Amino acid sequence: MSALPRRIIKETQRLMAEPVPGISAVPDESNARYFHVIVTGPEDSPFEGGLFKLELFLPEDYPMSAPKVRFITKIYHPNIDKLGRICLDILKDKWSPALQIRTVLLSIQALLSAPNPDDPLANDVAELWKINESEAIRNAKEWTRKYAMEN
Amino acid sequence: MDGCAEDSADSEGDYSEDDFDSYYHPGGDYIDTEDGQTSADSADPELFPVECLTIEQVENLLNEAVNAVCHSLNTSPSLAKLFLLIHSWDVQKVISGYKADVSSFLATSRVITAGCNCALAQPSLLHNHLAPAAADTVNEDSFVCPVCTCAAPGKSALSLKCQHVFCVDCWTAYVQVKISEGLSTDITCMAQNCDLLVHEEVALQLPISNYHKLQYQHFSFHNYVMSHPQLRYCVGPNCSLVFKAPEALAKRVVCRQCTSVFCFKCGNSYHAPTDCGTIKNWLTKCADDSETANYFSAHTKDCPNCNICIEKNGGCNHMQCYKCKHDFCWMCLGDWKGHGTEYYECSRYKENSETANESAKARAALRKYLHYYERWQNHAKSLKLEEKTLEKIKERINQKVMNGSGTWIDWQYLLDAAALLAKCRYTLQYTYPYAYYMNQESKNLFEYQQAQLEAEIENLSWKIERAETTDRGDLENQMYIAEKRRKTLLKDFFQT
Repeated sequence: MSALPRRIIKETQRLMAEPVPGISAVPDESNARYFHVIVTGPEDSPFEGGLFKLELFLPEDYPMSAPKVRFITKIYHPNIDKLGRICLDILKDKWSPALQIRTVLLSIQALLSAPNPDDPLANDVAELWKINESEAIRNAKEWTRKYAMEN
Repeated sequence: MDGCAEDSADSEGDYSEDDFDSYYHPGGDYIDTEDGQTSADSADPELFPVECLTIEQVENLLNEAVNAVCHSLNTSPSLAKLFLLIHSWDVQKVISGYKADVSSFLATSRVITAGCNCALAQPSLLHNHLAPAAADTVNEDSFVCPVCTCAAPGKSALSLKCQHVFCVDCWTAYVQVKISEGLSTDITCMAQNCDLLVHEEVALQLPISNYHKLQYQHFSFHNYVMSHPQLRYCVGPNCSLVFKAPEALAKRVVCRQCTSVFCFKCGNSYHAPTDCGTIKNWLTKCADDSETANYFSAHTKDCPNCNICIEKNGGCNHMQCYKCKHDFCWMCLGDWKGHGTEYYECSRYKENSETANESAKARAALRKYLHYYERWQNHAKSLKLEEKTLEKIKERINQKVMNGSGTWIDWQYLLDAAALLAKCRYTLQYTYPYAYYMNQESKNLFEYQQAQLEAEIENLSWKIERAETTDRGDLENQMYIAEKRRKTLLKDFFQT
């Protein structure tokens, strides 16, 4: 792999120096393009109190191509499927090279606060979210307790 | 009618309706048997003036429109293409829209940001507004490209009309990545939520690789053709021909290069008398339900007279049991005697009124679907089997010519008959989705005509399979009747 672009170095430095509240992103020791991410569940959301692990990878074309992000911790959310893949426009066709790791992670945190069952990735979850929101929220809380609160 | 827009079911190619008519009616002024009018091709419901264009011809056609816009608006070809792409290649619409309100026109064309009524919108600046920003636009000492975070002293930077400035290296890398993703005319500004378009001139002025340049031209040409309401790519795999018609109607296009037959409007297989939406529903339904249907429709049936198992080996539905010589209909298993002379009605679905509860309704719905699906499938199979019949006919003709009984030309009528049979059966196949979805209103008339067509087609098929013992005049008469029935049905029910 070629030398790490200045852009990635700058972003990494800033993530370390001024971390985003509720989000930690640490580059892997052996691969500076691979980040270990932990997002805390936003307040007043069914994910409150949970710590969600994610992985983030900057492809060769970054920042011309979007970073690849995936939840590792299981989560009950209409826009995140059971493999942890995320349905978020800025990770796909709405990606802009002007966006950064920081903004992507903030958007993911915002997605936890505002699930969008009309643009679902996990169909069964989205379905329940629409017909019986209180039950869906109960499930999300239970999953958060079960999978995102260990230790 | 254009030769290339017609059927060419036989390998000899140039069979067309005109040939057919003039061959059988050399005077051209024969009297229509049914309404006493002179048969005029202008009333042909399938007539469709479609032109077949090569890539160069398409380029010329597009360039004409581009030049007209450039000339009238004094703008660059690149912007003219962008305007035309967005406005479906309507030159008049582009020119009048531009002249009516330049700012809003440029905004809807995604050349300037909406609400920006600055001097930038003036046409005189359109030519070079996207040239790399000069040092006076970007203060080179302090400029840091927000994408690569590198200061760019001495490097050139540029922006679209939105003034989102990035360095040329980033623009180049970005455009190359987008081209690799298959984008061309739809590449937008790099800034978030900015939808201004990087049009052709800008993209190709960047130092992108030759490979990406070629890809860009390839993709953008594709987009131009796709956005042009009068142009259609041939649907055949690896076929590069383009078809042009004055209007996007649901009519038949036959590719002279790859012999694909498709509907100009929707690109599916030609589907008269059914319309584009209906055939799409039908094909989706068949893809979903055909497993069940296949389960129900076995490939063999028992002879209704002696119960011996019979496999269908020809396209004709008039079956004759090889054991007991009983003549029966493959569709309804009834005696054929009632089919040939009297009213043919096994193409007609009889609605059953005892639909008491839900499950009975579901069963009835399935029965109804299977009725039509079976017939649709059956005619598709017959078409395949009749291809084999055609092969046999060709063999027999060769033998006959070798044995000195007649010349090759003497037996041509058999090939014409086979081609006509294929054409008629194809239309008949596509009457079944039409009938499945049609409302009760004109159903009786439709089913009557469908039954008439079906009867004549089975007659024709029977006669072709037994061509040696059939009189030529008799066969030609049958061909004429079948085609007449087909045309009548299309005239009454094929709306485009």
